[in-house]
Amino acid sequence: MRERFIILFTGFAAVLLVRNLYVMLVKLPDEAAQGAIFRIIFFHVPAAWTSFLCFFAAFVCSILYLAKRNLRYDAVALATTEVGLAFAAGNLITGMIWGRIIWGIWWTWDPRLTSMLICWLLYAGYLMLRRAVEEPSQRARISAVLSIFAFVDVPIVFFSIKWWRTQHPQPVVWGGGTMDPSYWNMLFLNWVPLILLAVVLILIRLRQEEAQREIDAVRRWAHAL
Amino acid sequence: MDERNFTYMFYGFAAVWLCLAAYVVSLAAREKRLRQQLDGLRKLVEDRGEKR
Amino acid sequence: MPGFLRDSLTIAAKDLRSELRTKEALNASVSFSLVILLLFSFAFDPSAEQTREISGGLLWLVFAFAGALILNRSFARELPNDCLDALIASPISGAALFAGKAAANFLLLLAVEAVSLPVFGVFYNIRWWGQFWQLAGVLALGTWAMTVIGTMFSALTVNLRLRELMLPTLVYPVMIPALMSAIQLTTHLVGGEPLGGDVLVWLRLLVAFNVIFTALALSLVETVLVG
Repeated sequence: MRERFIILFTGFAAVLLVRNLYVMLVKLPDEAAQGAIFRIIFFHVPAAWTSFLCFFAAFVCSILYLAKRNLRYDAVALATTEVGLAFAAGNLITGMIWGRIIWGIWWTWDPRLTSMLICWLLYAGYLMLRRAVEEPSQRARISAVLSIFAFVDVPIVFFSIKWWRTQHPQPVVWGGGTMDPSYWNMLFLNWVPLILLAVVLILIRLRQEEAQREIDAVRRWAHAL
Repeated sequence: MDERNFTYMFYGFAAVWLCLAAYVVSLAAREKRLRQQLDGLRKLVEDRGEKR
Repeated sequence: MPGFLRDSLTIAAKDLRSELRTKEALNASVSFSLVILLLFSFAFDPSAEQTREISGGLLWLVFAFAGALILNRSFARELPNDCLDALIASPISGAALFAGKAAANFLLLLAVEAVSLPVFGVFYNIRWWGQFWQLAGVLALGTWAMTVIGTMFSALTVNLRLRELMLPTLVYPVMIPALMSAIQLTTHLVGGEPLGGDVLVWLRLLVAFNVIFTALALSLVETVLVG
């Protein structure tokens, strides 16, 4: 059942991506002020949305774990966090490449960039913490609490950095203008395959986590034999 | 400028997929490790079974 | 509630008494803060004008790094002789235990700051006392934010073998909003002007941070310690 979902989703995502790439590269014109580089936004922004979706799912699963104490929620929280980190990394790197062309520098301490970096560090800390705990239920408990702390912290970080930056001059992000509707459509259309891919990756990671747990259980049983 | 603009766009596209590919590679590595653990376990269980 | 308060005070008094007996963490923290203040003088040329502009950042980095020495050990120091197990088994709620330890840490951190702030003023030729009481308030708020996060993460990692390696990477990113507001407010106050206008947004942020994370820590600490 799950196998079928994985194959189906992957195929669907691939078809959509090919179609999107075609429209993006051939049909849509270059953006007037930025030229070709503008197209990075079609991956940059949906990747950020996908990662936030993942972190939100991890937050919900962490609460559910603390409420129900079912290790399955812990596995989902782990899988979503890992996939979210992969997408967040994609977001950060595309942002840097875009900034190199538009602003002429690889990194600005722009509020969005900075808070994404902090967010990435927080969740990387989550994975690091998990590696340091052996016992499964203790690991689930501690990491759930950390996940909740991290998720509550991210919006506060974002707003604080935004206020911080309003007191310091910063490079202009495209003049606050509106985007053409065809660009918006593309943005959302390209979000769909990224979400599908995220779901596929989460499912695969989840299956591995379950296999790991089963192997550990069998090993204990075999040693007791 | 415009040509560089274009190449950097492709760098950007490649970067997203490289990030995801790196994650997939890590998944594959974990899969392999699981398989090894499973094989080791199978051997262990068989050995114990023979001793009996 | 009076029960909660009494329990917390008992824990805080116990922690303070045992710390004041040896003064281990306190000495280490104070001397470390002096070392950082010394190191900063090599990072830039300490002329008064520039230093005033970045004084908030310098001060709070000193406080955050030196404070970590006190905060990190907060729960780990109960590990020898299974004291932590005894504390958890005692008829005191996890929240009261946390509140007591946080209160003790808060006072110890304030003591460290009370030493390093005048030293900072002397070393870098800064007249920081222009708005003394407002500055004291900001120091208290910022220190409480550091204390809550630090004590909570100390409880979180108390049983981990890599605790010392893990804590700095976990704690500082979470603290960033509080540190930022404290830095802004302190820089402003050291400049000699009272709080008001645009700067108030930072005060609100700092208070909100404290309220949110104090509530979160108090409600989650029981699950962390007991299970």
